[in-house]
Amino acid sequence: MKNIQIKELQLWAMVAALILFLSTVVISCSSTSQISAAKGGAQLWGENCLRCHNAPSPETFSDTEWDVAVMHMRIRANLTDEEADKVVDWLKTAN
Amino acid sequence: MKNSIQLILAIAFLGAFVFNDVFAQDSGQIAELKQIKQDVESLKPGKSRFLLRGYAHAGLEYHDEDDELTFVGGAFNPLFVYQQSDRLLFEAEVEMKFEENEFEIGLEFANISYILNETLIIRAGKIFVPFGIFTERLHPAWINKFPNFPLGYGHDGILPGTDLGVELRGAAHAGNLKYNYSIYAINGPQLDEGAEHEDDIGKLIYGNIRDNNKNKAIGGRIGIFPFSNSSLELGFSAQFAKVGSDNSEFNDIGANLYAFDLSYIKAIPAIKSVIDIKAQTNFINVDDADYPDPEDPTGVETFTFNNKSEAYFIQGSIRPSFVGNRFFQNMELAMRYSDIQTPEGAHWHTEEDQLDIGLNYWLDWRTVLKFTFRKSGQGVDESEEEHKESGNAFFVHWAIGF
Repeated sequence: MKNIQIKELQLWAMVAALILFLSTVVISCSSTSQISAAKGGAQLWGENCLRCHNAPSPETFSDTEWDVAVMHMRIRANLTDEEADKVVDWLKTAN
Repeated sequence: MKNSIQLILAIAFLGAFVFNDVFAQDSGQIAELKQIKQDVESLKPGKSRFLLRGYAHAGLEYHDEDDELTFVGGAFNPLFVYQQSDRLLFEAEVEMKFEENEFEIGLEFANISYILNETLIIRAGKIFVPFGIFTERLHPAWINKFPNFPLGYGHDGILPGTDLGVELRGAAHAGNLKYNYSIYAINGPQLDEGAEHEDDIGKLIYGNIRDNNKNKAIGGRIGIFPFSNSSLELGFSAQFAKVGSDNSEFNDIGANLYAFDLSYIKAIPAIKSVIDIKAQTNFINVDDADYPDPEDPTGVETFTFNNKSEAYFIQGSIRPSFVGNRFFQNMELAMRYSDIQTPEGAHWHTEEDQLDIGLNYWLDWRTVLKFTFRKSGQGVDESEEEHKESGNAFFVHWAIGF
């Protein structure tokens, strides 16, 4: 009986996770953020990098290297496309 | 009249000469510019690019219970990042270190990511399992505020680390609410059935290269940012898996794992400092089973236990980044409390907690000297393990990210 309840719980949790994921994708494809749009690359650089580690000095890498580093961080740190673009543009300007 | 004609001819000849000279000079400069442009174009990088990153650390440790003072580390974790195009990225991290007097090298992770669209990335290979925030984001030596891990984390911990599988992840906005997500299918944890280590029977083994059954672990994490400045992130993770071997009596044993995490970082001008708070609490529930009693030589007797484990940590740090004195700007005070409880009745049962107090000095944004005192609480005296992972200790570590 207990096993059946646990399995039902698992099933519902998986269904909930799936619904959440699909909702996420659908909503995300149709939504925009005014707050995000108003933020500049420097601000996004500070906000996003500091969540895990110190914000890197723009002088650390060349323009080409920043392209790779920011793409890597976009995936690793879950940056939005807009955030990654603004951050890399700012780093290239400031390095 | 004759003189006038001669003068006109002389001027015309001189003009032609000067014009020719200027024209020749311009042509030369243009050719030179073209050559420079060609040289620059030849140096312009293609879309395929490579970057070496990673981290390294070394240190000195004193362990009170063993009365041992030893240099440790020399660990080196190069991270190879290869960008094949604007959408395709490969990354792999190799871990090289000394462990128990032996040199060890291992593939920490290696995966390929493809950006499908603005909000969706697919990743496959050996990945950091996005279960909470510590393992995926905070464990590298130059990011971790302490030289050690919270209780329950690490290669021999009770929580997921890396695994083989496929993952969908990304970030987006729902209105003005930012969120990130991950959903994945991996080989998943395996139930230790006591074949190799009888004392670990019932424990979950992570990071398996080959799966022990056809079932794949399904899981995910969602993180939301309630504030517009992204200072606060709240996350929830879950993972469901069958963990027993297909060909064993434990083939129907499942495991459910849940975690809640919190990250808050904020500059507080009133105290000229930046505060950073991180927390994660984990619940590991494995179905009950009757295990053969390792202490019974006949192999007939069985034993069971309520196979539920919990582990959590909370850490905070403060760095006076906005004071005038540069020396104090680079100082950081950090504290972390962690706790672990594994099933009572299991041979690997433990109930421990510990407090880490650290003073860090940042030489630059990615190089840190860490001085940490670890104070152990309850449960350590009962542990028969070596006191590398628990027990009072003092650490001096130097970590660098690159």
